[in-house]
Amino acid sequence: MISYGSYLLISAFLFVIGLIIMMARKNIVAILLGIEFILNSAALSFVTYSKFITKNLDGHIFALFIIVIAAAEAAVGLAIIIRFFQIKETIHIDEATELRN
Amino acid sequence: MLFLNVLFGVSAVLTIASSLLCVFTKNIMHACVYLLGALLGVAGLYMTLGADFVAVTQIMVYVGGIVILMLFAVMLTGGKEFVSKAQKLLNLVPLMGNKWTFLIASLASLVFAGVTVQLYFKLPEFFKTVDNTEFSSTVDELGKLLITDHLLAFELSSVLLLGALVGAAIIARPRKEEVK
Amino acid sequence: MNSTAATFFTSIEAVNQAIVTLSEKVGFNTLPLVSLTIILVMALILTLVVATIGGYGTYAERKISADIQARIGPNRVGPYGLLQPLADLVKLLSKEDIFPMAADKFLFYLAPFLAILGVFSTLAVLPIASGLILTDLNVGVFYLIAISSLVGVGVFLGGYASNSKWSMLGGMRGASQIISYEIPVTISILAVTLISGGMSFGKIVGAQGGLPHQWFLLHNPFTFIGFFVFFVGGLAETNRAPFDLPEAESELVSGYHTEYTGMRFGLFALAEYAEVFVLCGVATALFLGGYQLPLDVTNLPQIPVQVIQSVVFVMKSLFLYYVVIWIRWTLPRIRVDRLMSICWKYLTPLAIFNLVGVSVWEVVFHGQSLAQLILGH
Repeated sequence: MISYGSYLLISAFLFVIGLIIMMARKNIVAILLGIEFILNSAALSFVTYSKFITKNLDGHIFALFIIVIAAAEAAVGLAIIIRFFQIKETIHIDEATELRN
Repeated sequence: MLFLNVLFGVSAVLTIASSLLCVFTKNIMHACVYLLGALLGVAGLYMTLGADFVAVTQIMVYVGGIVILMLFAVMLTGGKEFVSKAQKLLNLVPLMGNKWTFLIASLASLVFAGVTVQLYFKLPEFFKTVDNTEFSSTVDELGKLLITDHLLAFELSSVLLLGALVGAAIIARPRKEEVK
Repeated sequence: MNSTAATFFTSIEAVNQAIVTLSEKVGFNTLPLVSLTIILVMALILTLVVATIGGYGTYAERKISADIQARIGPNRVGPYGLLQPLADLVKLLSKEDIFPMAADKFLFYLAPFLAILGVFSTLAVLPIASGLILTDLNVGVFYLIAISSLVGVGVFLGGYASNSKWSMLGGMRGASQIISYEIPVTISILAVTLISGGMSFGKIVGAQGGLPHQWFLLHNPFTFIGFFVFFVGGLAETNRAPFDLPEAESELVSGYHTEYTGMRFGLFALAEYAEVFVLCGVATALFLGGYQLPLDVTNLPQIPVQVIQSVVFVMKSLFLYYVVIWIRWTLPRIRVDRLMSICWKYLTPLAIFNLVGVSVWEVVFHGQSLAQLILGH
């Protein structure tokens, strides 16, 4: 049951889910949520490769940096969302049409 | 081996079920909670791969940081108001999207998934299973790698985090003219 | 799978013999199944014991507070009121399970379970005795910090889902307090892992000794400060007074669990008291020598040694538990705007200073403790 392919399939599944969420939803928080799914799928793939193909820990390092980047992205993204909400009083992505208020 | 199989089964089901629910829920707050379930599932999968440090970092950063941040953002921006009122057939599915965006997204994703599965099944190692189930600690090894081979990336990520911290604080703080 | 408890029990001669005979009778190797059963039984026992300690936490709290305020406290149910927690349990279970009309039903039901899950998952790595750690993970302390942040999610969701302004404020305060105070706590734990050279509890406790001068508390001046940073941060993380702002009775009715009734409220209360016990256990293991005895135990019979070690560990933890309750009934609650400034302006810089200090100490004195320097080994 625990085979190389099953991990890759789960990873691909997570990627697709993230893609659907990012494309279908108009709520900015939901789009960030989709990005988290995609980053997780990438990290899972890296750890899988590191276990089955390269057999060293470089994949783990990649996964760690992906987690770091996800944290930084979430912090800045959510700050932008809150600022956007203060200006427009909505978080509908289609309202974000201007570069200056 | 028994324990690993149980852990893998539970984690995989948790990941897949939570991510599906995350797509099909109408409430963005619930979506964040389902994201939490999926992230815990992925952490379990890391455990079955012997990546203990990565698994715990995943729980630490995502559960303790990102999910709580998201919940805060949803609450501060009034999550529930944005549920679409027209709720028939496909409009039920995505929050705030319309059925066309959802259809196009699903079709594109299905095409992508089809290609991926095709490619994966051609891999020679596809059905290779985990050979040794005795895991050694990855912590010492990871620490050495981080300060030798990947030192530059490590330092850059610390600068990135500092920049993100300062940037987030500057962006989210109220402007002076608005306070008056 | 490497569970210390399972390894310990299966390495005992009698158990080993039983497994061998069982395997011969059934026809396949039963070691994995027996190990899994041992782990499950251990987990069940540990959960029940800590739940009982958590339940009796409410009794201890009332008795000690009564003592401090020159009252009598509960004395009606059983001798000295010792059966009071059971009576409370029956009362909570028989109460009507109300949920508010406008509440988010799913999240309202989920929140207490997340809080309980976050607390009881930490028991997996709590070192009770050298053979009685459920699993001695290589990332033990890190795992403990990580999984206990689920409590923050539970508190926040409980506050949000109740759809009441008291709960909402309490939940927001709780979540922000928990994630802020995680930083000084984590950094002071990091200083300890620097000295012991590993994040597993077995290694950390093994690097200490049975006598006070061998504890990490007195290892060097920086860890001495680090203990207090850890303890104060831990008090704030478990929402105990003087940091109990999320449930401040005088301003927020009862904070994030205002709208909860019956056993759901009981689960939140149990999570809080069990978390305090876990905090005390972790403080014991990290700074106060854990289960170590002041004699060499390698050649003694194993079973009595385990029992004595667990008694030592639980006694030290319960002493800290007493201190926590004592602090609660002695100090007034701090003001909400000072809460964050204590964390960010005092505790975090102090913790970072400690980390640097411990690193310098390790380099300059080659890892020797203060007592070793003074006594010359």
